[in-house]
Amino acid sequence: MIELQGVQVVVSVPRAGGRPLRRILVAETTLRLAERRIAVIGANGSGKSTLLRLLNGLVLPTSGHVLVDGLDTRDQGREVRRRVGFIFTDPLAQLVMATAADDVELSLRRDVPDRTERRRRALALLEQRGLGRFADQSVYDLSGGERQLVALTSVLAADPVIVVADEPTTLLDLRNRTLIQRALSEVGQQVIVATHDLEIAADADRVLVVDEGRVVADGAPGPTIASYLELMTR
Amino acid sequence: MNGVFSLYVPGDSMFHRLGVGWKYLLLLVVSLPAIIVGDLWLSLAMLALVMGFLALTGVGLRYSWGIPAGLWLLLAIMVGYQVLIAEPLRGVVIAANLLTAVYASRLITVTTPAHVLIDALVDGIRPLRRVGVNPERVGLAIALMLRSIPLLLDSFTQVRQAARARGRDRHLFALLTPVVVRAVGHAQASGAALAARGLGEDEPDGVGSHP
Repeated sequence: MIELQGVQVVVSVPRAGGRPLRRILVAETTLRLAERRIAVIGANGSGKSTLLRLLNGLVLPTSGHVLVDGLDTRDQGREVRRRVGFIFTDPLAQLVMATAADDVELSLRRDVPDRTERRRRALALLEQRGLGRFADQSVYDLSGGERQLVALTSVLAADPVIVVADEPTTLLDLRNRTLIQRALSEVGQQVIVATHDLEIAADADRVLVVDEGRVVADGAPGPTIASYLELMTR
Repeated sequence: MNGVFSLYVPGDSMFHRLGVGWKYLLLLVVSLPAIIVGDLWLSLAMLALVMGFLALTGVGLRYSWGIPAGLWLLLAIMVGYQVLIAEPLRGVVIAANLLTAVYASRLITVTTPAHVLIDALVDGIRPLRRVGVNPERVGLAIALMLRSIPLLLDSFTQVRQAARARGRDRHLFALLTPVVVRAVGHAQASGAALAARGLGEDEPDGVGSHP
């Protein structure tokens, strides 16, 4: 479970000939995220990505604390990241190795020291997701959906307790978006996903609406998505 | 376009099955004598031999023998220079030796997955651990570098096309600046991706940043 206790993220924006501007990316927020499927929706630049990056310590709060199963992201970042897998919007940014199998292997490095065993497990994990034939292919030769599925496989290979996904379907066509949506819905872990896709949000147990760095609506998908639509068309 | 060294192509040839250490030895045996002796016929024989080896890999002659335009240009400059100083045969020897070295390297890269090459390298530099070198980290850095080469080439192509669409493809600064900016962005994204996976965190505290 993740807890945000009075979390605030503020940055200084330099200004020519004046004092730097103080810009609030996430306004003081207190949340308990315990549901199995949580969707975070909001306009571009509303603070969704910053909020998500707080959850695994990629961004540290300016004030307040983020606790993952009681571990503070500020002091125990390494342990937190072992628990929280993170899927980026652009899988090419996420896949840091040249081939699909190499990338999955990279996630296994910490827990499986033996190379042969690591390779065997990586290939088995790709096979399980129907990606076996792409194992030795360059990640550049894969489609967007295949890349995102490889990224998901890599994240799950590290056996996280929570999966956080930052707009994982934004760059994908309808078919690939459906593939990723299905793959995420089958994941056994708690999943927190930022998305512009209201169908994905509607499948969640709880939806948060973020606007200008604030959580302005929080609840069951039906009424929360309705309030989001009203906010966006106001 | 085919790169200088080319990517691994899965297969079942004798070169695919050969251990990576033997392949490195073969690289030396094929390229070094011709470079040391400097004889035209030996250089041409070694070039023919390594081209024959590449043909036996079964990955296709177009892929295994193909030379990128930049390398042709380099060879032309080298031979041209030797012709100008009245040593055309020496130019041919140098060009043949360079091609032999490229093809011998390619014999390794097309028949050996990158992770096996990197593992061999990590094993090779393991003794340096005593002087503070972390072999696994060196291997990871090389893997990241290999992964970034096609991305940078792709980035350059995209930027050139965008510049051409605006009639600015002759302005070197207009081409290079966005490529450099994208490269820095890619480096930051790769760093975040590694951090998100808990890699490169031998240090006691995390890698989280204040934005």
